[in-house]
Amino acid sequence: MIDWLAFVLVLVSALVGTAVVVSAYSLGIRLLTISGRTPIVTPAEFTDAITIVTPAEIKAAEKRAKKAAKKSPLSEGQKRAALVGAWACFAVSAIAVVYGIYLIVGDHVIKLLGG
Amino acid sequence: MDTPLIVVLVIALALFFDFTNGFHDTANAMATPIATGALRPKVAVALAAVLNLVGAFLSTEVAMTISGGIIKEGPGGVLITPELIFAGLIGAIVWNMITWLLGLPSSSSHALFGGLIGAALVGFGVGAIDFSVVLSKVILPALLAPLTAGLIAYIATKLAYAITRRHDGKPDGRDGFRHAQIFSSSLVALAHGTNDAQKTMGIITLTLVAAGVQAVGSDVQPWVIVTCAVAIALGTYMGGWRIIKTLGTGLTDVKPAQGFAAETATAATILASSHVGFALSTTQVASGSVIGSGLGRRGSKVRWRTAGRIGIGWLMTLPAAGAVGALAAFVALQLGVVGIIIDTVVGVAVIAGIFLWSRRSEVSANNVVSEVADSGRAVKIKRNPKPKKKVKK
Repeated sequence: MIDWLAFVLVLVSALVGTAVVVSAYSLGIRLLTISGRTPIVTPAEFTDAITIVTPAEIKAAEKRAKKAAKKSPLSEGQKRAALVGAWACFAVSAIAVVYGIYLIVGDHVIKLLGG
Repeated sequence: MDTPLIVVLVIALALFFDFTNGFHDTANAMATPIATGALRPKVAVALAAVLNLVGAFLSTEVAMTISGGIIKEGPGGVLITPELIFAGLIGAIVWNMITWLLGLPSSSSHALFGGLIGAALVGFGVGAIDFSVVLSKVILPALLAPLTAGLIAYIATKLAYAITRRHDGKPDGRDGFRHAQIFSSSLVALAHGTNDAQKTMGIITLTLVAAGVQAVGSDVQPWVIVTCAVAIALGTYMGGWRIIKTLGTGLTDVKPAQGFAAETATAATILASSHVGFALSTTQVASGSVIGSGLGRRGSKVRWRTAGRIGIGWLMTLPAAGAVGALAAFVALQLGVVGIIIDTVVGVAVIAGIFLWSRRSEVSANNVVSEVADSGRAVKIKRNPKPKKKVKK
């Protein structure tokens, strides 16, 4: 019959892995925004893209971000700390992804290197 | 029976199945980044194709049973002849083509299992099928995969929105999730390559062994690895635009944070399941994730009609591919060489017919998400409505 223990293991490990990656990246974005560098990533343009952003809208978004950053009650030092924190969060999430890649191909690469 | 001819036919069909597997499953990795504009459609499928190619070369071990225990193979069981593999592949390919035409994401491995089961039923009777394995390896995982992935994606979406939510109305920077989407979807594509290309490698190798061309217990031939990797990559690059459309825009309107949460959930679930050895279908995991992320964002709706159509497609996969496989096996076993030729001709005609039929309403890189875009333009959706301020005290 079905191996329920294996299933629970899959559910828990996938849930923990996803939660770590998504939380770390989200926290990174949050801290980046707090530090006054709100990421503005415009969607790729192609013939029938769902999300279309005009140059004027991009400018408006940048202006809003700048205004919000100016109004920030944080000191320069706190902002710098937030920025460092943001990159630390992105690093955590990147390490988790690299570990994922290691899980996929790690054994094979080790074998190729003669390990 | 002329053995080399049937071996050549099986290899050709297996590679074509690998190709349909590729374009059927592009959507699993690339539907959401295309929908949110994280990647251009052509760039997305090219990236997925390259990662599938790399994944196929890195696939660690090739399964040495064709059916994973569903058909009682080997000592004490039955010997699956090339004719039956041939019939099973026809069933799998025809069902893959039909679901592609309907734009339904359905599991390619289940189609293959279905085709082989149908062929084995005709060849050996009911006794050759291990129904407890069918239940534990096909039916229960088909229920658990979307539920698991959906739950994880739901929680991940909630987390992503909760952590980045700002109640003061200042920019929240959620655009930044577009960058993350590129990496998370790439991980899904890589995992797919390592999982799916090896199924075809296993079939070709076992056919070569059965035909006496290759020694029993020897490794997969290098040319088999190369051709399988190229076939799945080419298929991926063709892009199953119809399925990308369903998964990217049909189930729910995906926003960057949702897309990232869904892709991460898909990648983590697939990785965990293949690492633990509890196989889950990539397609079913990806579909579950998209629905879960749709439930997880406030104000987003899940189109349950589309989800229902996909579910019916999953239910149909095993019996429908099985019916075609059984029919093909019946013709091949009754009529011998003539039957194989009839199967081949009819199979090619059906595939060509489906392809021609699909041209009537072509979905390509140029219009993959257009209906939604059109309706968005028509009603002028007000984008990014300001979040409501929390009332203090």
